Amino acid sequence: MRGARVNLYSGLKYGALIIWAVFVVAPFLWALSTSFKSDNGVTGGATYIPFLEYEPTLDGWAALFRDTSSGGISMQGPYLASLIVSLVSSGIALALGTLAAYGLSRFTFRAGPLSNSDITFFFISQRIMPPAILAIPYFLLLQFTGLLDTHIGLILVYVAMLLPIVVWVMVDFFNTVPTELDEAAMIDGCNPIQAFYRIILPNCGPGLVVAGLLCIIFSWSEFFFALTLSFAKVQMLPPTIVILNSNKVPWWSLSASALASVVPLVIVAFFLERYLSRGNLAGTIRE
Amino acid sequence: MYTKLVMAAGALGVAGLMAVGGPQSASAETDYIAKYGIKADAPGMCSFSSIDAKDYSGHELTILTHAVPVMGEPAALHSKQFEELTGGKVNVVHAPFGELYQKVMIPFQTGQHVYDIVYGGSYWIGDWAPHLAPVPQKYLDLPEMKDVTPAYQGVASWNGQRLQYTVDGDRNYFKYIRPPFEDAGNQAKFKAEYGRDLEVPTTWEEYAEVATFFNGWDWDGDGELEYGSTEIVQRDNIAFSNFITRVASYAKNPNVTGGFWFDLDTMTPQVNNPGFVKGLEMWMAALKYMPPGGINFGIGEEIFSWGGGQSLMSVTWDDAFIQAMQEDSPIRNKILVGTKYGPSMGSKKVWNRVANTWDEFETPSVAPYVAWGWGAGVSKYSKEQEMAFDWFCFFSNYANTNHDLLIGRFGVNPFRTSHMDPAYWEKEAGWNTDVAVSYTNMLKGMATNTNRVFDLRVPGVNQYYTAMMASVSKAMAGEMSAQAALDEVAAEWIRITERIGVDVVREAYKNVVALEDNVSLSAVK
Amino acid sequence: MIDSRYKHIFLFPALLVLVAIIIFPLIYTVRLSFSGWDINRPGLDSVGWSNYARAFVDGGFWNSMGTLYQMVFFCVLFEYTLGFGLALLLWKQVKAGRFFRLLFIIPMCVTPVVMAVVWKTIFHETLGPLNDILSWFGISGVPWLSEATPAFISIILVDVWQWTSLMFILLLAGLMSLPKEPYEAAQIDGAGPIRTFVHVTFPLMAPITIGALVIRLIESSKLMETIYAMTSAGPGSATETTSYLLYIRSLREFQIGYTASLSIIYLVIMIIALALFAKLLSRALIGRSEART
Repeated sequence: MRGARVNLYSGLKYGALIIWAVFVVAPFLWALSTSFKSDNGVTGGATYIPFLEYEPTLDGWAALFRDTSSGGISMQGPYLASLIVSLVSSGIALALGTLAAYGLSRFTFRAGPLSNSDITFFFISQRIMPPAILAIPYFLLLQFTGLLDTHIGLILVYVAMLLPIVVWVMVDFFNTVPTELDEAAMIDGCNPIQAFYRIILPNCGPGLVVAGLLCIIFSWSEFFFALTLSFAKVQMLPPTIVILNSNKVPWWSLSASALASVVPLVIVAFFLERYLSRGNLAGTIRE
Repeated sequence: MYTKLVMAAGALGVAGLMAVGGPQSASAETDYIAKYGIKADAPGMCSFSSIDAKDYSGHELTILTHAVPVMGEPAALHSKQFEELTGGKVNVVHAPFGELYQKVMIPFQTGQHVYDIVYGGSYWIGDWAPHLAPVPQKYLDLPEMKDVTPAYQGVASWNGQRLQYTVDGDRNYFKYIRPPFEDAGNQAKFKAEYGRDLEVPTTWEEYAEVATFFNGWDWDGDGELEYGSTEIVQRDNIAFSNFITRVASYAKNPNVTGGFWFDLDTMTPQVNNPGFVKGLEMWMAALKYMPPGGINFGIGEEIFSWGGGQSLMSVTWDDAFIQAMQEDSPIRNKILVGTKYGPSMGSKKVWNRVANTWDEFETPSVAPYVAWGWGAGVSKYSKEQEMAFDWFCFFSNYANTNHDLLIGRFGVNPFRTSHMDPAYWEKEAGWNTDVAVSYTNMLKGMATNTNRVFDLRVPGVNQYYTAMMASVSKAMAGEMSAQAALDEVAAEWIRITERIGVDVVREAYKNVVALEDNVSLSAVK
Repeated sequence: MIDSRYKHIFLFPALLVLVAIIIFPLIYTVRLSFSGWDINRPGLDSVGWSNYARAFVDGGFWNSMGTLYQMVFFCVLFEYTLGFGLALLLWKQVKAGRFFRLLFIIPMCVTPVVMAVVWKTIFHETLGPLNDILSWFGISGVPWLSEATPAFISIILVDVWQWTSLMFILLLAGLMSLPKEPYEAAQIDGAGPIRTFVHVTFPLMAPITIGALVIRLIESSKLMETIYAMTSAGPGSATETTSYLLYIRSLREFQIGYTASLSIIYLVIMIIALALFAKLLSRALIGRSEART
């Protein structure tokens, strides 16, 4: 009797997990299948299995590398641009944000009635701003500093966007690291900065990794500013793909480019999962 | 000496103009035909050999154009050719249609020079005018330019200056699949149901009947359901053009002058008069005979749908037609265009906004829509204007245009008188004679019709159109009645006009009235 | 106590960047909101409060707020519930647990707007697989993107697909860090799984719940890219959120001054709403004495 109940429960549990897993994977499988289709695999109605229901071609994938003058997407440039901008802006945000987070965790700041947690909230609340609001001011700011339509300008904008995330993750992370370590270091004669670099930072691996991976995800996937702050010299990946959504959507190259663009992120997800499964995020979301 | 006087456009009357024989000093024996897949290199300032003779190494052009393929692909293609021929560098940037406007306007307005050449809807000319460099006379004197029809020359002009370099001409017209009309079984059934013969419709009312009859069953025997009509309804796509097509015949009165969109004197919007309302009501009812999801069709869906034989009729752009005439299309050579009274559906009753009554016509009055088409120009802030105009010259030379016209996805559609020769389409495109004749007759009809409708080409046009389509799409979605929706539009248009400045809009609108009333700008009061 | 002379070195670089890149543009936006920068009048002039006056009677704007709130409510509700459920399922040792965990984390890591474009093809009414599969079950031709309610649902579906994984990972991490003692006590008391959940798990997870909800609320209030890719706020204005409306008004229609005033109003409302929500939720779940700001 009890055995039967346990089996039923088990069955339901795995059933639910499998259903959700199918839901998660479905769009990717659909994109994969569609990326090998051509006109007749699409216009006749939904088809799924290559060779059985449609003739697969490599057209969709070939278009990724073809020049626009022959109807391709020429994805290499934007891919590289997105990679570089993501890595650089994540790195900078990580550096500045970790510093700030350590400061907020260890010291007391006071500005009138505002204290540490208010400043932390201030950082985090920057995420409330919809990008649409900032488009024009950013345009003017970048134009004023001569950074418009440059990768550096975009990196600057991304750093501002990523700082809240780093602060959010690292403040709570630091809060879980006991202050004894710092104090021990300072008894040894270090000033706080040295203590930070020599003692604390090496112990932060997991937190840094989580924050860093989240930064990469957000900056790689950023669409709106990549779209509105680039004019001629800067071509980022998400707009390049979404542009295909214009007229006469070519489902095959669209699917191929979508898949190609998310592959790095899936790799990031893999690493993220490893670090998260060590329970590292636990402290970060307790306000 | 040139031995071949073969017209790039087939046997054309333009032969006489070609006899001039421009500079032949190109790198001698380069076979442009073999290398670039064109049919013939028509001589002249813009020819392959002439451009080859130019040297732009060390110079760079930046061009903003639409995404691949529509206009984006030919722009990229010809830029690559231009680079090879001249040694200059051409940087082609693509943007989706929805983003083109601001990508152009933001740099213009903030004084940031980014693009040398900009592409967009030609109806943005009101906004672009202060920022474009007029086309120099030597290009206006080119045979390629003189060959552009008066309507499209007008479309490219503003306040007496030619600001856009004509690379495309567009129109909305009626097109239909022919065999179902000629099928005896269909004819009998139709007669039984509607009490009249099955004929190609000439009015929107007849269109509705025919479309309803052919909606939702498999009349071409391919195992799939077919439908009556495919149109472009998706908000924020280019549905506004479809709206104009739908309302034009009811609201554009051949006997009324002084403004279709506004009354030029008072600048009162006309957008909610009974003509417009009737047109919108007919469009709302049309959803019933569109394919599933039709309310969400953008131009891409329309091209695939009608071009793939999913619907019987359509009154929209060239693209679907050219797509349907491609080699692998199931309905190639089985289609025709236009009605016996004109390029699109007419109406026997047209609203007279001055007399405040419906005028009746014996034969349906047609008001074809000279749709905006792609407009492109050289920025007056460009430091490479000569190179830019040469690029345009090359892009729209006879050889390239005649090549591009045949490729549906390129979005380059007829705009020259020489394009109206059926022989070109028969020879170069392999069309059946009746299709070619039908098509060119429609083109000629558009060129000579005097009751045409044009876009609202004034500054702030995007605000007007966005307001218009926001309310129209609500009516289409059944959220409000046609009259209520259009009243909303009219009210918003008054506010927009006030914000932009009544005099500014009126001065600009005079350009449009000149086109609407077929008079010169100076004749408009 | 650590030497506090150094504290500024840590905080200031980041604060400086933030102030330069967010505060100044924000102040500029406020200034913009008092100007009439338009397609024909570029530049900063001054029109007083007229933009705000116009904003208060702007039906489209307030509608978009309503649409936004409804969408956010459903999205976050489903994401939280499903995320919690999945976290509970994977909490204890499960066969292939790591595999499921990795799989479930992927949606939140991939580019939202790109996946939205893929989803658009899935929702296609005649050519897409969704309606095809539904027709095997006898449900035909759902007008996913062409009618108001289905379009609304389709946006929510895509958002849930993407962001449930975020809730899942946050809640799972929280679960894994819970202390064992209360569970041992509950077991001794003979409490079944449901009672354990209601009286032990859920209350213990309260801080995490609040954190996760607030984070997700903040992010989802910016809902715009999915709509941009899938429905363009259509049909009609059924899926028009405030972010999207602001984008159209400022960059497509070029009503820059007016949109700035809409932005300020929006920001003020959002900050108040979120702060209120966080406080109320804290009170409700944690109780007065323990609520931290």
